[in-house]
Amino acid sequence: MKLLTCPMNGTRPLSEFIFGGELREAPDQKTCTDAEWAAYVHNRHGAPGDKKEWWYHSPSGTWFIAERNTLTDKVTRTYLFGQKNLGEENVVEEESK
Amino acid sequence: MQALDIKTIVPISPVAHAQPRDSAKWDVVNNMEIAVEFANADIEQARKKVLGVTDVSCFERYGVKGPQASQWLADHELAIPSNPNSWTRCDQKTLVLRLGSSEFLVEDQLGGLASKKLANNTSRIAGVYKVPRADAAFILSGREVLNLFSELCSLDLRATSLLANDVIMTQVAGVSAIVLRQTINGEPVYRLWCDGTYGPYMWEVLIEIATELGGGAVGLASYQN
Amino acid sequence: MSLRTPKQAGEWINRNKKISFSFEGEAFSAFEGDTISSALWAAEQKVLGRSFKYHRPRGVLSLANHDVNVMLTDGMDTNMRGDVVEIKDGMSLYEVNTSGGVKKDKNSYIDSISPLLPVGFYYKAFHTPRRLFPFWEGVIRRAAGLGIVNFNYPRILKRKQHSHCDLLVVGAGPTGLSAAYVAAKAGLEVTLIDENRHAGGSLGYNRAGDEAAVAQLDDLLSKVASQPNITVRTGAYAAGYYPDHLIPIVEAGGITKVRAKTVIVASGAFEQPPVFRYNDLPGVMLGSAAQRLIYRYGVRPFSNGIVVTANDYGYRVAIDLLEAGTKVAAVVDLRPGANGGAQAAELTHRGIKIYAGHCVYEALASSGKSGVRGAVICAYDDKENVALTDNKFTLECDGIAMSAGWAPAGALLYQAGTGMQFDYGVEQFVPNRLPEGLFAAGKVNGIFDLDQRMRDGARAANDALSYLGLQAPHNSIEQHVGNSPSHAYPMVPHPKGKNFVDFDEDIQIKDFVNAAKEGFDNIELMKRFTTVGMGPSQGKHSNMNAIRILAKIRGLPVEKIGTTTSRPFFHPTPIGHLGGRGFHSHRLTSLHDWHQANGAVFTDVGAWKRAAYYPTTGQTKEDAIQREALAVRKTAGIIDSSSFGKIEVHGADAALFLERFFTGSFADQSVGSCRYAMLLDESGVVVDDGIASRLAEDLFYISMGTSNAAAVYREMQRAQQEWQLTIGLVNVTGAYGAINLAGPSAREILSSLTDVDLAYEAFPNSSVREGIVAGVQARIIRVTFVSDMAYELHVPMAQVPHVWNALMSTGKKHGLRPFGTDTQRLLRLEMGNHMPGIDTDGLTNPFEICAEWAIKMSKPYFIGQRSLTILEKRPLRKQLVSFVLATNFNGEMPMDCNLVIDGGEIIGRVTSIGYSKFIDRCIGFAYVTPSKKEVGSEFQIRTDGGSLVTATVVKAPFLKNQKGA
Repeated sequence: MKLLTCPMNGTRPLSEFIFGGELREAPDQKTCTDAEWAAYVHNRHGAPGDKKEWWYHSPSGTWFIAERNTLTDKVTRTYLFGQKNLGEENVVEEESK
Repeated sequence: MQALDIKTIVPISPVAHAQPRDSAKWDVVNNMEIAVEFANADIEQARKKVLGVTDVSCFERYGVKGPQASQWLADHELAIPSNPNSWTRCDQKTLVLRLGSSEFLVEDQLGGLASKKLANNTSRIAGVYKVPRADAAFILSGREVLNLFSELCSLDLRATSLLANDVIMTQVAGVSAIVLRQTINGEPVYRLWCDGTYGPYMWEVLIEIATELGGGAVGLASYQN
Repeated sequence: MSLRTPKQAGEWINRNKKISFSFEGEAFSAFEGDTISSALWAAEQKVLGRSFKYHRPRGVLSLANHDVNVMLTDGMDTNMRGDVVEIKDGMSLYEVNTSGGVKKDKNSYIDSISPLLPVGFYYKAFHTPRRLFPFWEGVIRRAAGLGIVNFNYPRILKRKQHSHCDLLVVGAGPTGLSAAYVAAKAGLEVTLIDENRHAGGSLGYNRAGDEAAVAQLDDLLSKVASQPNITVRTGAYAAGYYPDHLIPIVEAGGITKVRAKTVIVASGAFEQPPVFRYNDLPGVMLGSAAQRLIYRYGVRPFSNGIVVTANDYGYRVAIDLLEAGTKVAAVVDLRPGANGGAQAAELTHRGIKIYAGHCVYEALASSGKSGVRGAVICAYDDKENVALTDNKFTLECDGIAMSAGWAPAGALLYQAGTGMQFDYGVEQFVPNRLPEGLFAAGKVNGIFDLDQRMRDGARAANDALSYLGLQAPHNSIEQHVGNSPSHAYPMVPHPKGKNFVDFDEDIQIKDFVNAAKEGFDNIELMKRFTTVGMGPSQGKHSNMNAIRILAKIRGLPVEKIGTTTSRPFFHPTPIGHLGGRGFHSHRLTSLHDWHQANGAVFTDVGAWKRAAYYPTTGQTKEDAIQREALAVRKTAGIIDSSSFGKIEVHGADAALFLERFFTGSFADQSVGSCRYAMLLDESGVVVDDGIASRLAEDLFYISMGTSNAAAVYREMQRAQQEWQLTIGLVNVTGAYGAINLAGPSAREILSSLTDVDLAYEAFPNSSVREGIVAGVQARIIRVTFVSDMAYELHVPMAQVPHVWNALMSTGKKHGLRPFGTDTQRLLRLEMGNHMPGIDTDGLTNPFEICAEWAIKMSKPYFIGQRSLTILEKRPLRKQLVSFVLATNFNGEMPMDCNLVIDGGEIIGRVTSIGYSKFIDRCIGFAYVTPSKKEVGSEFQIRTDGGSLVTATVVKAPFLKNQKGA
C-alpha cells in the first residue's frame, strides 16, 4: 500500500487518507459564462501529469495538498492549503524514503 | 415537575456494553460506573505482565481547540507541549495532549484535578472552542502489547519509532484513535483513546486478541493503588 | 522396497521418528520431515497424480512447488501441494484430479482421444446449438477445476499482522544469506524470508558430490544466526509487491505485511524442463528435483537413470545421482560441443558415457504410462532445433533427470515495475532498471557462480545501505563467464507430440503452433488461447519455454516477445489468510443495552447499529412498524436518534460560514430558532440536509442524518481551510446523543420533566431551547420530521439512558412506545419529508424536489449557487411528486425503485413507498416527468412481478391532506 506524508501527522499508509479531488481554480462565478462554469463543474483534465490534489488525513481531520504525478504516482510534496508560499511551514518535500 | 438532581445521575462507561456485568466488580469512579475488577488480583497481575487491557474511560477529560486554545490553557496554568502531536505531564497527575497544532486534550490521571477546574469555567471566549469529550480510553500493558498492535495498526509503534512524548492520531482496528506511550507506576504502558461509541467494539477486539496472546481484561482497581 | 539412501549430511528428515499415513487407501510409512511426495517416492509409489486435462500419470517434476503434478486432499483441505507439504502422522490422502484413484483413473481414456481436443476446442465446439449449452456446461464443469471445496470447513482464524524493518531480503539462499549478514553487520534491522522449510536454497542440494557445500552453508547460517538484528522466517513466501515496499509474507499461521525501507530480491530461479515427447512420465524430473530428493529427504530418484542436459548443471546432477547410489546410463547433452568442465571429466573418469549433440527424442513408457522403461536417443541439430533420427537408439533406464536452464523468480521485481532486459550471456531476462530502494541479487540477477552470487548478495546489501544514506562501498559484480546456464531452445519436436511445455495444463509444442496459426501470436493472447501459465503454478516452469517457442514461430528475438504480466499472489493464498480476523467496526449509542433488552431488531446505518423496530413475540415486522407509527400519531413515540450527525459552528463568522456552506439564509436567523439547511455540491446536486439551530450569535448547532454526517463534516473542514473565516468547527456526533419524543402527548410527557416553557407561543416549531430535562442539561429542538408535535432532546451521550428512562417511565401512562428507524421512515413519509440519498440521487437538483423555498439566491455566494443560476433557466426534466394508490389497494405492492410507466415509456421511478395504517392508504414519492406532476395526474408503476399499478398524484403532505380524504 502506498504511503503518503501528511504535513501535520507524517508518513502514513494510504488507508488513513481520503482523496478529495483535484485542486482547481474556479472561474469568477460573477463574470464567467454559463459554458465556462459548466466546464469547470463537469469537465476534468484527465491527461496524466503533475496534479495538485486535495487529501484528507482521516484520523486527525487534516486537509492538505499533495503534488502528485498521476502517471508515475510519485508525490513530490505535500503542504497545508495556502501554506505553500507562506514561509514553507509544514511543507514536506518527499525525499527518497 | 420532577427534574432530578444532576448529581444523582451516574453514567456508565461507554465500553460497558461489551463488558461482563455480573462477573466483574463495578464501582463509581469520577462519577462514572466502571469495571474495577475482572478477576482476582493474581490473575489480573499475571495478565498485566503479558497483555492487560484496562478501561479508563472514567478519567476526567477536557477538550479545547481554536487559535487561542493554547494561550487559554496556559492562562489556566497548564503545561503546553511545545510541538504538534506531542504530550506532556502537568503536576504529575494530568496529561496534556496536543492534537495537531491547535487542539488539546487534557486528561486527569487518578487524583488529578485540572480537567475538573477547566470544566468549571463555562465562559465562552473568542478563539477558544470547547470540545466535549466522550472517549473510550484504555491502558494497554505487558510484553505482548506490540504483538497486539501489529494486528490492529499499520504503524511502527516500537519505542524507536513512537518516541516518549509523541502523540499519534491513526487508525486502530479501522477506527480513528489516539495512541501514546506512558509510564504508570514505573511500568511502561500504551494509551489508546477512541470515540466512546466505538468503545464496545474496540474492547471486544482488544480482549479477543489479548486473550489469544495470554492476557486479558484488567480492572481499574489495579491502577488505583 | 525402498529408495532411501543412507543418511545425507544436512537432510531435512528425522530418521529416528517414523510416521505412518495412507495414500488412496494404501498404508505407507515415512520419516518425520518428509513431504508427501518424498515419502511416497521413497516407497516407489511414483504415480502421484493425474494431469489436469488428459489425466496422464504424473510424478515428481520440480519437488519445489513450481508445478502441481501432486495435488491432494486430506478430506479437509484440498489442492495440497504434495511436493512441499510436510507429511503428518495419520494423514489419509487422496489425489484430487482422478476418477477412481491415480492408478486406475477412469478418465485416463481422455489421453487417447487428445487429438480431438486441441486448444481452443471449447471455444469452437460448444457455441451452437444454444439449447445444448446447459448440457455442455454440466460436462465441462465436471471436467474442469481441481479439488472439491469442503463446505463444512471450520473457520480457523489466521492473524494478519504488520511488521517493519530496514531491509527485507526475499530468499535465504547463499545470496540472500550473504546480503542479510552484510546489512545486519552494518546495523540494519533485517528480515530474511524463504518459502522453504529451511534456509540455504540451492547450497543445500546442488553439491556435485562435494560435501564442502554443507560446511559452507553451515558457515553462512551461523554467521546469520550471530546477528541478533536479523529475523529469519522460513516457510514464508513473499506473496506480492505493493507500493512503497509493502510485501505481504504468507506463513501457515497467517499473513504479515512487512513494510521495509528497502528490499533485496534474492529469490533465485526456477529450473525449466527441456521439452521432448513423454517428458511428463513419472520418473522424468528436473535435475534440481533429483538433487532435492537426495539431499533433503535421502531418497534416490531412480535406480538406473539418464541425465539429459543442455547446460553444465546436468553434469553436477549426474555426479549427485552417482553419489546417491543411482546408476547413470548416460549423459545426453543437446549442445554439440562437449562440456570440458571438471564435472564432465569426472564423469568420463567414472565411466559414464556422454552423448554430446544428442537429445532424448522420446521417453519410453512402462505399462499404463506409470513410469519410464527407456529413452530413445538421437543426434540433435542445435541450430535448427530438430532431432536427427537416422541413427536413433534406445537406452534402458527407469528415470530421466533433466537440466536445460532457468527462469528468474522475478515476480516481485516485475510487480514493483522493474525494467528487464534479455541477457544472451545467460539466456535469461535480468533486471536493468530497478525501482528506488529495490535491489536484485543472485540468480534472479543473472549471476550463477556460487562465489559470485555471495558477492552479489553483499554488493546488493551495500547498495541498500547507500540508499539508506549510510556509508558503504560500491562494488560491481563481473558478468557471467563461460557456458550459459540456460539453453536458448531446449525443444525436441516429435511428429506424435506429447512433448509437454506446461504440465499444469497439458500444453504441447503443437498447441503453440496452432495458436499462432489462429492469429494468437502475441504472448498475452497466446497465453489466453493456449492457457499456458494459467494453471495453479502460474507459469513457473512453463512461461520461459512458451516465450522461446513463440519467438521461434515468429522469427523474432526473445526480448521482442516480452513476458506476460506478473500479479500477486506468488502462490495461491487461502481465503482464510486473506480474510484474517475480519474487523467490522461499528458504533453503538449509549442506549444499545436498552434496545437489546427490549427486543429491537437492529439495522446498520453508516457505521452505526440502530434499532429498526421492536417486535413483540410473534409480531411481524409490518405489524410492529404500524403499531409504533400509530403510537406516534395517537399518543407518543420515542426514538434513539443518537447517531445523528451533530456539529457545532463557533465563532464570529459562524453565520457567514453557514450562509456560504448551505443554500439558505442564516445571517438573519434569530437566537433560539432553527432553520432548514440544505447542502449542494458545486454542480447544484443535493448532497444532504439538516437543521441549523442558533444557540448564540456566535454558535450554531447543526444536526443532520446519520449516514452522511462524517462526509459533511469533512467538507466543512475543507471549506474552512479555503475560506479562513473566524470560526471553530467541533464535531460532537459521538459526544452528544439525541432522543426524539413525538406525538400528541409529547408535550405533556416532557413538561413533567423540565422547567423549560413548552407552551406553543413560548416554544413554537422550528425553535431551540436550552434547559434541564430530567436533571440533565439539554438542547431541545422542535423538529417536525416525524410529527408536528415533537421534541428532539440533545444531551451528553453518557446521560442519554437516564433521560430516556425518565421519559419512558413518565410516558408509560400516556402509552409512550419506542419506535425504530423503519418506523421513522414511514412517519416522515406521512409527513411528506424527503430524505437526501433516498428520495434524491447523485443527479437531483433542488428544483426537482420543490426545495426552492430553502434557497436564497440573492446571497453573494453559496456552494452550488452558480450552477443553480444555470439550472433554473432550464425546463425541469423530472419532479418528485407525492402519490397514493387506490383506496383499499390489495394488489402486489410496488417497491422503492420500481419504474413509473406512462404509455409504455419509462418516465420515472418510485423513491419511497409504504402503507400507512393511520391514513389507511399506500403513499409514496416518485419522480415523474413534469407533465405528470399536477395533482390528480395518474401514472402507472410496474411492480417486481410485472403488473402495472395505478397511482394518483396528490397534494403534499399526506398527513394533512390525505387523512380522512
